Amino acid sequence: MAKKKKNRNVAIVGVGQTQYSSHREDVNQPEMIHEAVRLALADAGITIDDVDAIVHGNMELFEMIHQPDLWHVLGTGGYGKDSFRITTGGTTGATLACAADNLVASEMYDVVMTVGFEKLQEGHTTGGITNMADPLWSRQLQTGALTGSTGYKMEKEFGEERANRAAMMYRIIMDKHACLNHNSHRSFGLDFDQMDELMENSPRLVGDLRLIHMCSQSDGCCVVIFASEKKAKKMAKPPVWVRDHITVHREETFNIFGFDENYPVPMTHRFAAEQLFARNGIDSPVDYFDVFEMYDPSGWWGADWMREFFLFENDEHLKLIEEKEIMIDGKMPINPSGGVTAANPIGATALVRVAEAALQVRGDAGGHQIPGDVNHALASGFGGTMWTVLMMLERELSW
Amino acid sequence: MSDQFGIKVEEIFDTMEERFRPEGAEGVDASYGYDIQGVGKWKLTVKDGQMKIEEANDLGDCVAVTITDADTFVGVNIGQVDAMKAFNSGKFKVDGDLGALGQTAKMFTKFVSGKKEMTVGDFIQDMFATLEERFQPKNVEGLDVTITYDIQGDGGGCWTATIKDGTCVLKEERIEKPTVRLEVGAADWVDVMLGKVDAMTLLSAGKAAIEGDSSLALKLGEIFSKYIAPGEMAEPEQELVRLKKVISVDHRFATGPVMGKFLQGLKNKKIIANKCPKCGRLQLPPREVCAICRVRVPGVVEVGPKGHITINDIAYYSSPDPLTGETRETPYGSINILLDGCKGNETFWHLLRRDQIFEVEESWNEKKGTRVRPVWAENRIGSIKDILYFEIDK
Amino acid sequence: MGKRVAICALEQVKNEPDIWYQRFQGMLLDCLEPILEKTGVTFDMDKGIRNVITCSDDVFDARTISDSGITDVVGAHFRGEEKMAQDSINGLGYAMACILSGHDDVVLYMGHCKESQAESRYMNTNLAYDPFYMRPLGIDFLSANAFQARAYMEKAGVDDDHLAEIVVRSRKNAAKNPYARENEMVSGDQVKNSPYLADPIRELHFYPMTDWAFGMLLCSEERAKEFCDNPVWVTGYGSCMDSYFPGDRDIISNFALKNAASRAYSMAGVKNPQKEIDLFELTDQSAYQLPMWAEGVGIVDEFAGGKWIEEGGPDKSQVNLSGGMLNGNPVMLGGAARVAEAWYQLRGEAGDRQLKKPKKALAHGVTGAMGQHHGVVILEK
Repeated sequence: MAKKKKNRNVAIVGVGQTQYSSHREDVNQPEMIHEAVRLALADAGITIDDVDAIVHGNMELFEMIHQPDLWHVLGTGGYGKDSFRITTGGTTGATLACAADNLVASEMYDVVMTVGFEKLQEGHTTGGITNMADPLWSRQLQTGALTGSTGYKMEKEFGEERANRAAMMYRIIMDKHACLNHNSHRSFGLDFDQMDELMENSPRLVGDLRLIHMCSQSDGCCVVIFASEKKAKKMAKPPVWVRDHITVHREETFNIFGFDENYPVPMTHRFAAEQLFARNGIDSPVDYFDVFEMYDPSGWWGADWMREFFLFENDEHLKLIEEKEIMIDGKMPINPSGGVTAANPIGATALVRVAEAALQVRGDAGGHQIPGDVNHALASGFGGTMWTVLMMLERELSW
Repeated sequence: MSDQFGIKVEEIFDTMEERFRPEGAEGVDASYGYDIQGVGKWKLTVKDGQMKIEEANDLGDCVAVTITDADTFVGVNIGQVDAMKAFNSGKFKVDGDLGALGQTAKMFTKFVSGKKEMTVGDFIQDMFATLEERFQPKNVEGLDVTITYDIQGDGGGCWTATIKDGTCVLKEERIEKPTVRLEVGAADWVDVMLGKVDAMTLLSAGKAAIEGDSSLALKLGEIFSKYIAPGEMAEPEQELVRLKKVISVDHRFATGPVMGKFLQGLKNKKIIANKCPKCGRLQLPPREVCAICRVRVPGVVEVGPKGHITINDIAYYSSPDPLTGETRETPYGSINILLDGCKGNETFWHLLRRDQIFEVEESWNEKKGTRVRPVWAENRIGSIKDILYFEIDK
Repeated sequence: MGKRVAICALEQVKNEPDIWYQRFQGMLLDCLEPILEKTGVTFDMDKGIRNVITCSDDVFDARTISDSGITDVVGAHFRGEEKMAQDSINGLGYAMACILSGHDDVVLYMGHCKESQAESRYMNTNLAYDPFYMRPLGIDFLSANAFQARAYMEKAGVDDDHLAEIVVRSRKNAAKNPYARENEMVSGDQVKNSPYLADPIRELHFYPMTDWAFGMLLCSEERAKEFCDNPVWVTGYGSCMDSYFPGDRDIISNFALKNAASRAYSMAGVKNPQKEIDLFELTDQSAYQLPMWAEGVGIVDEFAGGKWIEEGGPDKSQVNLSGGMLNGNPVMLGGAARVAEAWYQLRGEAGDRQLKKPKKALAHGVTGAMGQHHGVVILEK
């Protein structure tokens, strides 16, 4: 796809996140959102009066609130402002970021605040995800977003031992990162010497997908503020530039595939990465990016998807894991925040990836800041039936 | 001095040296100020993995200055006050770089007041001594169960609570086949009871096990009121109301001509796919279009009904069916079947007979998996459940 | 700013009370096929549609991620798709931003809703309220609107006769619109004798249950000629959110609509809407909203709605020639249905209801009850 010239530059200028937690009985939905809104405004050094438009997103059926932006205006500060509500399932948070980038670049708005949230404690999450399936057939067969097929596929290709170890190693690394991030909902303090025990004892969910591999159900809100170049340069913190983004969806029918090498199935992750990197002239993403905040719903998917996003062909992704190069001080740090297994307030989760990537670029990630400069960051969103969103962030306006 | 918590502010600063974690301060070179109103000002300097805490009047060169009162400061440090809430309500202000202040959280182990130094064993004894009085009969009407706590390691033991007729009797004993048995290390259990870690976390990490009725284990919080350690205040905060509501709106879904043909087929014991006029791929169940070719797909073909298993997803966890509220028994086999007449990825998704889920072979590349056949419901109504499940075609 | 985007194609199915014979997937496909055919647009990654914006609602579809069931029928397999979960007018505003940003140059915009699917649409809209206070009180979009209706009618001198006139006119206009829901022609007396749903809103004062789907092809100014000869231009957009609790709001002030309209006017360079705009399409879920929203967009003096009806204002200002939302469009799709009417009128394809060479039109959509959120679009020939 040809490179399209952006109408004007857009930067992330403020980030606010609540503590992610399994339960927030102490606040209702607008109150929880308000916590993150205040933090983001404080981070940007602006007030709500400086915001032109709000983009709000989550999934209605998780809390059973229809058009919740109408109620949540009490917490978002959207009163009197232009406001949008854009949702795309698990990718919602990333879509909010893309939408804010588009809205600011269009010159229709100078400062746009995105609000991604979920209060999963207030509904039944796996039931909510099952509701995604077609009511005419698959809803009666499905179990939320759980499948063991990735494990099966990896075991076939790399052997049972190596695949299981890689997935568990990935998971333990994510937990080590989560322990550095005070916003984490879950940080267990896992250690590498527990690998065998976890592979044996953590309860199975589906196939070799175990409870320890799987993401949590969290409450929480993430707010990210985007601004035009002119405004961004006047803000309190250095701007983090949004270079480009891409969204790739696929059809709903969700047959488990990949068991027959004569019928390869193109992956949205790879397709999105190929398109995005080609049009931005990036030949080797693993060399180019200094950090990748990936939407990794489970240890298995995290390990497997690295291959797609970095356009690897063989076992380079497993090697990166095995050599611990995806750790915070490694060659290709993945999810210094701890990722989705550390916290998963679904409507916010993909926006958290963008927010955390931006904090890394700015050097403001605190306890989980990568040592050394972070000039180029990548964030991904995942949802729907293998939908993917990628967003590239940069420290300098140099492309 | 914090009147609310009976702990001196000075105590927190005085213990900083011994609580310092050099690994948490790696690469930090900064000073942090603390302005505890009505008490005094302190300055923390961190450099080269070393720290210094001193009383200081000038906090001018600090990257962040915390401004708060004694109660809030102590409360946050002993975990009785939520820092985020205090921050949002303005009781806990930060002048300077908020992100930098966050680093200090990693530099120190948690402050523990010198007043109560209970051992794990003390806690365990106290927890079980208070269990009967913490029983909440009104929450568990009609419950008739036995719960065995198998607390392992130093300070542990085995207790069994018998709940019947609205009473709870606890004995230090092990019984045969309790309704549910919890197995967990003593220190971990103390952490759970003190709210430092949630039980699900231990379970996930394989540090705890539940045998028997696991749903009962999840209700322990309702059966017994929260354990309060000696000297702690009972429920310092207001009681929070949680509103429970089941939301139900009846629906009537159109099936349309395409899905309609498929469902009609099932009624007549036929499995109907449709075939893309351009690329020839089969879709099961049929869709209005071929997503790849972006063309309408009018033609249908009958496939199966037998086929071979490509992948058998054995599910150990099942969520309630949102349409019926029923939860499937686990484990069950969620299978993808390549029905006769289909190729490649044109698989059909259904369930496998429960007693056969560990008997199947999956297919991989040229290798064919176990052959299966559908078992049809007697009364078929045009639903995916007209096929009860697939079974091995022996 | 002077930048604009083109609508190069618009297709819709007929508004019907109950499209029981088709899934919404089929309805959308019926809209997509003619768009592809008439414009020759493709989904080529370089030159075609890379992004699809859809509009639907999880609660009304009874489905988490309501857009997950339609990826294939809107052509979004291995392309982008983003769902506007608000009134569709905002989807058009967002599509405009996607194109003006430079990120996309061709955008497909589609929407669907089947109100007939749920046992009660009022049960659905009740879910828009907080679970603690408003929801248990039984408030839904209809009963909330009744509060506003009472307050507005009192202040603006609008009575039951005026509302009857609005309903009769809506049905007459809709009868000339081949895509409008087919409703019985009614007399003023019939309207005045129809039962109250929520006083002062009578059954015939409230839009009937409807199923519908639509599609539009949008593109940048530079590329418009590739897809059609006479595009309709989107030149302005604005929206505004009011507060939530009815007690917090001045419910007759038109606060949000005035802001939304003035933002759209300023973007499109409209100084005097009454003079410059040839037709107005307003999303009137209920009859009282026609004069009220007309005040909000600035073509009627504040609280002069009653007088405006008596003087034949709706016909003089060419308001809701389509029949309006009042004749029947599903929730969230009112705005797109209004854009559709503007599209036919500006292109001279409005048949029996065609105005003489209109140049500028306003289309409006509303989300929530009592006009909590409004969106306004300015369209030009």
